[in-house]
Amino acid sequence: MARLEDIPEPTRTAVASIPCPSFDTTPFVSGPPLSQRRVAIVSSAALIHRGDKPFPFGSGEYRAVPGDWSNDEILISHVSINFDRAGFQRDVNVVYPIDRLREFAAEGVIGGVTSTHYTIMGSTDPAAMVESADGIAAGLLAEGCNAVVLAPV
Amino acid sequence: MLEERGLPTTVLALVLPQVEKTKPPRALMLPFMLGRPLGEPNDAPFQRRVLLQALRLLERTDRPVLLEHFPDDNPSWFDRPDWTPAVSLSPPAPLHEAAAWRSAFQAELALVLPVWERFKARFGRTSVGLAGQPPEDWPAFATSFLDGALPTVPSHDTPALALRFLADDLKALYGEAVQADGPPPSARQIDWWFWRKTVAGQMLIALREAALKSENNALKTVGGRFFVPVPFLPN
Repeated sequence: MARLEDIPEPTRTAVASIPCPSFDTTPFVSGPPLSQRRVAIVSSAALIHRGDKPFPFGSGEYRAVPGDWSNDEILISHVSINFDRAGFQRDVNVVYPIDRLREFAAEGVIGGVTSTHYTIMGSTDPAAMVESADGIAAGLLAEGCNAVVLAPV
Repeated sequence: MLEERGLPTTVLALVLPQVEKTKPPRALMLPFMLGRPLGEPNDAPFQRRVLLQALRLLERTDRPVLLEHFPDDNPSWFDRPDWTPAVSLSPPAPLHEAAAWRSAFQAELALVLPVWERFKARFGRTSVGLAGQPPEDWPAFATSFLDGALPTVPSHDTPALALRFLADDLKALYGEAVQADGPPPSARQIDWWFWRKTVAGQMLIALREAALKSENNALKTVGGRFFVPVPFLPN
């Protein structure tokens, strides 16, 4: 895991003891081999296009990240200042691995990449994100997605 | 939540207690800092190893919860002892008046901006762009808060948000400039340089103090929580 000593207090305690939902069921959806998977990314970094409004504090909303945004147009608008930004400054893929997915698709490792990806803002009560989960799932299922990489920051 | 809706998921996980509580169907535990789930910037082979191991979990059927650990640190997790900042600055002196902060920050920014241009040319990108105003306008705008002014910009609804996103951009611009040349320093080295060696870092600490004394509650909250990370707060 992220080394706890890398995370300064009080964030360390907050991260380790944050109330997390527990789920009554452990749904497990299987699928075809990777070479037949159409893969999407869901990032918790509150990604926006340059010029868009940042995510408001505490927002449980989701937003689409169209695949045709160029990497230089993608910004992080997450409220927290307690995670590293230096990696993202150099390379968007360290947060949002879009180029790596495209390479895997070109090589046939995966079947393809969805045309739209999605983002939410972490550090937000998951109970506020139920409608967002509905919206993201509907969008991804509609374009034949059958694999999601969840990339939290 | 997505799995319940029919989508197979795999998590690039950074915090083990959260994984243990939420029990996602598939998770790859990673030893990287918060903020970089793929580990190493501009290292495609390393990122591919991370992503492929997470994707491979999708092919396993030994349910219900699959948790693997990625074995390696990312290369720039370690401090680089021979690292020198790409921009050389005079040590910041303690300042008190808004006008003095303004001129000191203006002078420093004039040294940093050309180096930031080198970063943008080298990496073809910048993560600066939230403030809603160009860097040249930052010194006057930011330091006016030290005099009690509450300006804003059209792209943000309140002075508190305008200053908060200026602070984000300021940290990003300096963070990028200091990485403009040579091999990457560790994130800790960048933070230490910014908060201990720059006028900009000291000015943000001063702005936090001013915000905490403000009668504008939004500014008080935003300044207290979102300008300066806890390890660099003054004693």
